[in-house]
Amino acid sequence: MTRNDPIKHFFIWPALLIVLVISIFPLIYSLTTSFMSLRLVPPIPPRFVGFGNYIELLQNPRFWHVTWTTTIIAFISVGLQYVIGFSVALALNRNVPGEGLFRVSFLLPMLVAPVAVALIARQILNPTMGPLNELMTFFGFPNLPFLTQTRWAIGAIISVEVWQWTPFVMLMLLAGLQTLPDDVYEAAALENASSWQQFWGITFPMMLPISVAVVFIRLIESYKIIDTVFVMTGGGPGISTETLTLFAYQEGFKKFNLGYTSALSFLFLIVITVIGLVYLAILKPYLEKHK
Amino acid sequence: MSVRDLKGNGRWWALAGCLLWLAFTFFPLYWVTITSFKSPLGVVGGPTYLPFVDFEPTLTAWTELLSGQRGQFYNNFMASTIIGLSASVIATAVGSMAAYALVRFTFEVKLLTGVIFVVVAFGGYLLGRHVAGYGQAISLIYAFIAALALAIGSSRIRLPGPILGNDDIVFWFVSQRMFPPIVAAFALFLMYTEMGKLGFKLVDTYTGLTFAYVAFSLPIVIWLMRDFFAALPIEVEEAAMVDNVPSWRIFFGIVVPMSKPGLIATFMITLAFVWNEFLFALFLTNSRWQTLPILVAGQNSQRGDEWWSISAAALVAIIPMVIMAGILSRLMRSGLLLGAIK
Repeated sequence: MTRNDPIKHFFIWPALLIVLVISIFPLIYSLTTSFMSLRLVPPIPPRFVGFGNYIELLQNPRFWHVTWTTTIIAFISVGLQYVIGFSVALALNRNVPGEGLFRVSFLLPMLVAPVAVALIARQILNPTMGPLNELMTFFGFPNLPFLTQTRWAIGAIISVEVWQWTPFVMLMLLAGLQTLPDDVYEAAALENASSWQQFWGITFPMMLPISVAVVFIRLIESYKIIDTVFVMTGGGPGISTETLTLFAYQEGFKKFNLGYTSALSFLFLIVITVIGLVYLAILKPYLEKHK
Repeated sequence: MSVRDLKGNGRWWALAGCLLWLAFTFFPLYWVTITSFKSPLGVVGGPTYLPFVDFEPTLTAWTELLSGQRGQFYNNFMASTIIGLSASVIATAVGSMAAYALVRFTFEVKLLTGVIFVVVAFGGYLLGRHVAGYGQAISLIYAFIAALALAIGSSRIRLPGPILGNDDIVFWFVSQRMFPPIVAAFALFLMYTEMGKLGFKLVDTYTGLTFAYVAFSLPIVIWLMRDFFAALPIEVEEAAMVDNVPSWRIFFGIVVPMSKPGLIATFMITLAFVWNEFLFALFLTNSRWQTLPILVAGQNSQRGDEWWSISAAALVAIIPMVIMAGILSRLMRSGLLLGAIK
């Protein structure tokens, strides 16, 4: 039930104006700049180049490399977050002993500043002073190149992402699990369905809408990753762990290549939108089947 | 014993899994805490794990940090606190009002009005910039005002085309979060620089950064608070309306007190977001209003491997949020966040 009252304008306009100003200004500015050749250092007068920046970017192997790296980090870390988060949420929902303590402490990583997390990770992964190296030496693998070899570095970034964001997935899924009705499980127990069957037959399908939403949010957010990478590897070794946002930062803030950076950010927006749409399109039939 | 409880071995497997995850969650936090109490020699000599057992804790790092020997950490802390608190308060207040309006009042916006706004804003900017020869900031401001005026004017007359309702407006707000922040951060930096040339200094100011944070928190606030307001019983408000209580008094006198838990939780989530935010602070500040994440991120390149003092600095950024987590988790138990994702 909604009503009509002129005062509604007083309620909504402050928020509307603020968001409009902050979203339309950058949009207009960067979209128009993306069709121009514009550099601040060295300063050259702006020149209209049409799709030149976009074409140059699409032909730049670095762009594809960076997109691929970001995709790998996003998909693997969100996949792990979902599996671990769901398992822990299931355990907490089933009143595992000490559930109250777990609930409070599992939330913590989410609230720690990503740059601080990355610094802690650097300490732990340190080749000489870190505890992880000592542990691996004990198992017979001394001096692993955690942050200096591409595969290990990407693995380290993914672990940090999983550490930090699994709590979010867990929190959302736990809230969802608590709304599931008991009687379905009682009926299933009468039919002697095993826990495994109950999970795939009842829990998983009923949790699908929430799962889709949570994974969607995390995927979009993961594509924006910069602070962790910035501190942990700085994109290195070479550019092997550089992500889209970091690439844009380097081009824009280090080289002040404005037209190019603007084009890059719009390609980034397109990449995110395409991935979001494909994701939703793939899952739509399943969502409708279980409605 | 409800059906939800685990039976037999499953219970212990689940417990083992949870304990493993607990160890994984806590180890980094434990590590940073003990490192901040180690002496420089204790850090360089290789990993040690237990205070008083394999190393002697000292307060060196903390006294150095708090006495200001290591740069102006106090300044960053105050900047973070002031900006964080004010941005969260403003965003929660403004966002809640909008969320309430979107739950209780009817909004109808013609799609065509939106199109007019975007077209006029773009066209006006290009005209001002390349035909009339104004500067960037001036043409943007004129284009924005013209677009807004035309859009409002056009909503008065009857326009054909689809009508957008409350849900579409909420979706528009939330979709702002899809936008990669690097696009906005970089464009805002250039915009703020342009404004600076006009005499309004915004880069590295309280106003500039707070404004950006308010704008970027609003979508979350509206999203969370909308579900919260929708869950409130409408009968109380209807009873007040029968007595001819004006809408603004219903909101501030009845609705706000009733939704205190939701407001507090939303405020805290916003605060955590602003406190930890890195990208905007990186672009929009350079010295006076630099926030803690920037200071913390700079530690490594400035200090190399001085882990004891880096740990202490990182902890200063972490501890306030950990205290908040304790308070927040109590509020979360009511399943407050669930509504937000449906």
